[in-house]
Amino acid sequence: MTATDGGPTLRGAAVASAGGGSGSMAQQPPPGLRTVLGLAKAEASMLGRSALVLLGLLAGGAVIWLFVWSLQPLWWNTAWQIGSGQLIVGTAVLMAAQLAAGRARRDGMADLYASFPATAGTRTAGQLVGLAGAIPASLLLIGATAVTVQVMGAIGAPSITVLAGGVLLVIASGAVGVAIGTRFAHPLAGVLGALVLFLVSAQAYKVSAATTWLIPWDFKQDTLGYLPGPLAGYPPGGAHAVELAAIAILAGSVALMLTVRLSRARAVLATVGILAAAVICLVGVVQLRPIPAAAMSRMVAQSANPASVRRCTTSNQVRYCLDAGFAALLPSLEAPVDAVLAHVPVRPGHQLTVSQVGELVLDPTLTHGYPMEQIARWNTELQDSPAITSPATAIYLPIGAWPGFGARLADARFNVALATAEWAVRIPLASKTGVACVPLDQAREAIAIWLAILATHPPTGELQAGLSSGSTGAVVANTLVPTWTYPGVTYGQIDEVAGVPPADTDAGFLLAGVMTTLPEQQVLRVVTDGWTRWVNARTTDAQLAAALGTRMPSVHVGQLPAGARQVAVGPTARNGQNPVCTS
Amino acid sequence: MSTRSPDIQPAGRSPLAVGGAESRPARSHRAWLRTLSLLARPITRTMPWVTLVIGCLAGVTYLAILANAADTAHWSLSQGYVRFAFVPAIAALAFVVRAPLRPLTQTTPVPVWVAEAGYLLLAAPVLAVTCWTELRIVAHTIPHHADHAALYPLVAQLSGWCAITVAAAAWADRSRYADLGGIIATLVSFTAVALVWYLPVTARFLVDPPATPHHVTIAWYVIAAAALALTCAAMRDRWHRYTRKPRLSPVRAPARG
Repeated sequence: MTATDGGPTLRGAAVASAGGGSGSMAQQPPPGLRTVLGLAKAEASMLGRSALVLLGLLAGGAVIWLFVWSLQPLWWNTAWQIGSGQLIVGTAVLMAAQLAAGRARRDGMADLYASFPATAGTRTAGQLVGLAGAIPASLLLIGATAVTVQVMGAIGAPSITVLAGGVLLVIASGAVGVAIGTRFAHPLAGVLGALVLFLVSAQAYKVSAATTWLIPWDFKQDTLGYLPGPLAGYPPGGAHAVELAAIAILAGSVALMLTVRLSRARAVLATVGILAAAVICLVGVVQLRPIPAAAMSRMVAQSANPASVRRCTTSNQVRYCLDAGFAALLPSLEAPVDAVLAHVPVRPGHQLTVSQVGELVLDPTLTHGYPMEQIARWNTELQDSPAITSPATAIYLPIGAWPGFGARLADARFNVALATAEWAVRIPLASKTGVACVPLDQAREAIAIWLAILATHPPTGELQAGLSSGSTGAVVANTLVPTWTYPGVTYGQIDEVAGVPPADTDAGFLLAGVMTTLPEQQVLRVVTDGWTRWVNARTTDAQLAAALGTRMPSVHVGQLPAGARQVAVGPTARNGQNPVCTS
Repeated sequence: MSTRSPDIQPAGRSPLAVGGAESRPARSHRAWLRTLSLLARPITRTMPWVTLVIGCLAGVTYLAILANAADTAHWSLSQGYVRFAFVPAIAALAFVVRAPLRPLTQTTPVPVWVAEAGYLLLAAPVLAVTCWTELRIVAHTIPHHADHAALYPLVAQLSGWCAITVAAAAWADRSRYADLGGIIATLVSFTAVALVWYLPVTARFLVDPPATPHHVTIAWYVIAAAALALTCAAMRDRWHRYTRKPRLSPVRAPARG
């Protein structure tokens, strides 16, 4: 576990004068740099191979993966999330460093160690310099994450200062571990130190928004994921990196002061420690400064009036409006939309728009330091200029909610395809009233679902899992209508910002399922030939089934039992009823 | 010259050397009682109180700070905070299960596990008081009219965590890495708890929700019982201990021919 438990031989140890002990430093020349470097090399080697550090590296990687895997990475957010993984590595390094620094006293070998040529101060200096052994693990974490998120199509560019802050966090944690181990040899001290570091970083946001940047690393920082782009001064990466470096220097000074005996050296160390503490206070003040007003105002203005930063392009007569930097999303959106529209014979009169939309919430970490009047003005500006202008006829995608890869991305594409198909058959995409409309017994609903399935080919089992079988549903004319909500409906949050989406029914899905079993050309011919009739809200499922030469699947539609409530379709209407979708 | 410790019996008065006209089970029980009464004081004195109390106080302090912040900001603490706050106490418990001077004590007539079991018995009320204190702190932040979550699943869960930690510590103490047994047990038990907490397969049975409080309670007590069995297996002597005197066959005089 530690260097003196059988580490490499020290080549520089002979440089230190013989006969020195920890208590006789006043009579000895200062420890040679070669001795410190030799010790540091041994300590670094043992630290880098420590089982604790390797476990911490694995756990840190797992934490980062949990943070980034579900959504398309945004570098201004991911860089901070990498630091959260570094925090896990840091806790492991803290425990390993504490064990190394406290082993002489823990093993009852302090007297034996004192007979070594290297003094206690030299050994502590070696352990502090040996913390460099944790840097490869930290850099490996950064490199592996960077490669992974780039493969996942990360948006933006990483902040070097934030990434460097993560490395400094690991070093500072190790220095704190050395300081603890120098004074407290019991292994529990390291465990408690690691717990304090983790709990402070994970829970401090509960205490005050102002402490977000003062603690070593805010583990649960989630505001960054909602920002449409990097915001100047948020997070204050440079100042925070300086703070972590100063913490490392302060902890190192304390550790050395506890071991060196030379009064002059202790005075120098005390001075260095005081200076480090002063720097910590200074950068703390810098980090507590509010975000520059110009940057805040610009961000609010961009959220209120996104046209100024949103780049709109038209492709296949569909308008795509994406924020600057999100152009990489375009192929993911175009593919399902074009695949649906390829089978639509007549499009509606109005153009389809697929637009990103920001959900800027002025939380206290953003508005810290500003007067209430200014915050109220910004909130008013955001409310007066809603970015969502036409919820019923446009598809809105929240920034930062698009999945990165895998099954979630496939589900999000299906959601886009279904929204496109519903637009094509004139079903309103969202309701601002807070109550979902139900395309009850409307042939166009089945056609929309069939078009979406045809465009994206989602797994049949997942779609089948969305059948409610009468257990939940919407309420139309006091009748419980089973609704179809497949498990991946939330991915991409396609329907969740503009209003309440329509409640698709079990009947519509089952008829669409029957349509997928029929020859594609036959169904296409029927749909294309009678398109105007099918998109009419009055055309029923049974009529479509008859035209296809098949039978309408049976669906249980029951009377509303006493006390039943609608579960799947959002807020309950004032009279407890869902309206039927018109056009 | 060193004086004799009051805990050491003079030769011939060993509790395990009691003889007389009593039946063998009665003698055995009396010997055990005398042994335990004699061991109580050294076990109490060698118990790592500082480690345990610091671990318990660390969690209580953390919770008290959060409760203060909750009072100020008008939000309430949930049972999840009790779980977090109990982690330092569990970490300290990992350092309690340690047989001091095992190479020496295992050569004495008293089994080694007596000391470790004694430590655990002494630690149990401290942990119980810590849990009670933390629950009181959390309850203080919850409004009276609000719904209070059931406590019995939480108690079962914390019991399970403690049992896992004790089992890991007992096995680590038996291994060649006994010097770092506490920290090894801490890491092993934390990893095990984190895995069963976050893995969907185990979370279905051990986390409320998705499992019901009743099922969570049963599952954690089953785990605790299994961990206790493992602990007993880990604490046993490393060598076979004869509990009965060897039966000597009578020596017969050679037959005269």
